[in-house]
Amino acid sequence: MVSPLSAAGAYAKLARLADPSANMPKGGSGVGAGGDSAGPSFGALVKDAIGSVIESGKKSDAQSQAMAAGKANIVDVATAVTETEVAIEAMVSVRDKVIAAYEEIMRMPI
Amino acid sequence: MDFLKSMQIAASGLRAQTGRMQVIAENVANADSTAQRPGGDPYRRKIPTFRSEVDRALEANTVTMGKVRQDPTDFRTKYEPGHPAADQSGYVKYPNVNSVIEMNDMREAQRSYEANVNVISATRRMIQRTIDLLRA
Repeated sequence: MVSPLSAAGAYAKLARLADPSANMPKGGSGVGAGGDSAGPSFGALVKDAIGSVIESGKKSDAQSQAMAAGKANIVDVATAVTETEVAIEAMVSVRDKVIAAYEEIMRMPI
Repeated sequence: MDFLKSMQIAASGLRAQTGRMQVIAENVANADSTAQRPGGDPYRRKIPTFRSEVDRALEANTVTMGKVRQDPTDFRTKYEPGHPAADQSGYVKYPNVNSVIEMNDMREAQRSYEANVNVISATRRMIQRTIDLLRA
């Protein structure tokens, strides 16, 4: 499940990737050595997050379909849909933030 | 996630109140259901009960409908000698359903449901505010 906490965790990881001093002791070359750090890379983390969002989306889809077929409880549908909505929102805001950071770097005068 | 847990707990409250509403609906609908044979017992009022249940997956106490019990109080009797369910002395037993009590129970179920819905929407607002932190 994607939660604001895991989003915060993602930021911590991103900060570690962006911070060269964290990678220096391992002899890496700053940002480029991100993939070698102990934790999973940011890309893998986002992939995981998207996977769980898709999973909860499937769950709420199944509930909605059961509801349309007259089998599900409206309460279950509402909670499933809300959970998915929250998960998607959390993931989308993390994505926006990461893209904003990337754009900031791209705008940097060299 | 803890927020989603509290949402699930409130949802269990919604489910329990729905079940209670069903029992009340049965009582109201059967308020005049007499026996099929002379001198027999009519519909007996049902009382919903709730109990706390430990949800292992959530690690929290949720609420579920317990056994639906029967109200042991006396039936109402009416003198209607021509009624098919009347006994030898001409009295018909009517269910021990009091519509005023049922209306109050219904209002209570409605209010409890609203309270649980408010818990869900407040939780949702809290999640939303937390996500908004990311956007600032």
